[in-house]
Amino acid sequence: MSQSLRPYLQAVRSSLTAALCLSNFASQTAERHNVPEVEARTSPEVLLTPLTIARNENERVLIEPSINSIRISIKIKQADEIEHILVHKFTRFLTQRAESFFILRRKPIKGYDISFLITNFHTEEMLKHKLVDFIIQFMEEVDKEISEMKLFLNARARFVAESFLTPFD
Amino acid sequence: MSIIREHTQATLSDAWRTINIDALQEDSSVNFDTSTLRTPLPDVSEAEVRQLTSQVRQLLRGGDAEGALRGCLESPVYATEGTPEGAREAALQTVVEVLQSIKASDMTPMLQRIYASPGGSECLDVLMKYLYKGMAATSSSGGSAPRTPTRMTPQQTGFSQIGPRPGASSESTGAAMSVLLSWHEKVVEVAGLGCIGRVMTDWRRV
Repeated sequence: MSQSLRPYLQAVRSSLTAALCLSNFASQTAERHNVPEVEARTSPEVLLTPLTIARNENERVLIEPSINSIRISIKIKQADEIEHILVHKFTRFLTQRAESFFILRRKPIKGYDISFLITNFHTEEMLKHKLVDFIIQFMEEVDKEISEMKLFLNARARFVAESFLTPFD
Repeated sequence: MSIIREHTQATLSDAWRTINIDALQEDSSVNFDTSTLRTPLPDVSEAEVRQLTSQVRQLLRGGDAEGALRGCLESPVYATEGTPEGAREAALQTVVEVLQSIKASDMTPMLQRIYASPGGSECLDVLMKYLYKGMAATSSSGGSAPRTPTRMTPQQTGFSQIGPRPGASSESTGAAMSVLLSWHEKVVEVAGLGCIGRVMTDWRRV
């Protein structure tokens, strides 16, 4: 792992562990409803201070805690246009399958590439440290995945160009 | 039939759907008065922050980094109605400057000394607030700048591996960020996770 990635992930891990302290909290607006307060924003007193952890301006994590839910938004590193397209395709692939990821939000919040929403029901049926591990592992893997895809794409483009240009040789 | 005829262009539009009717009701939870949760804090003017900054710089020049850090953390500039945005920014800049001037090997012993002294726990909470604010501020201000040059050169995209290493321009902010990240790690080591919890739940925001 690179030198500056370790403290970044460590900071995300400790912030997430501290933020994942959720309890059941029914909606104060609609009777017999139970909604994630961080999304509904109907009770300002249960929303906590959002935390930003940044490695540089292209890579950052926003954690928005509230009483019964937290929203984690990740901005994945995009060094150039190709990576921008790859990240877009990759996150789109994941968000279309959000149902099987449970904590994945269908739409990232503005300025970020992918968002997760963890509610108290998730922490009740899943282990908290495993949830944190999942997010950290996702952040580790996604960079690798994107750079791997970029290499494949370039290799393929080179091969295609070569075979296309052979008849004119 | 009369009801149907009363429909005009205005009533047929669906703009009314976006009105949050809860906000119009006075005793709705949306209108909860959060001022009851806030501790009344004194307003700080920019001149006071400048004075503090110069004192802190003097301590730094004298080689008393711990005193400088303590000085900033004991009088944090909180967000209140009368405090100008510039004062808070200046205070943040001062803290970041002090943090950057301290060597990595001195961090943990210094934090332990501060933590053990009376009022040290609060000091580290304030430091944690500044660390998060520092990371949020630097990432949002330089956010759009590096994206534009890459967009201007579409012909390069396929061969970007050959070109100059991307992100080289953001080296300075990356370095500033890694200082904050290593401080974050050290503060969590010394003061524990409760420190982050108190940052989240405290309404006194820096």
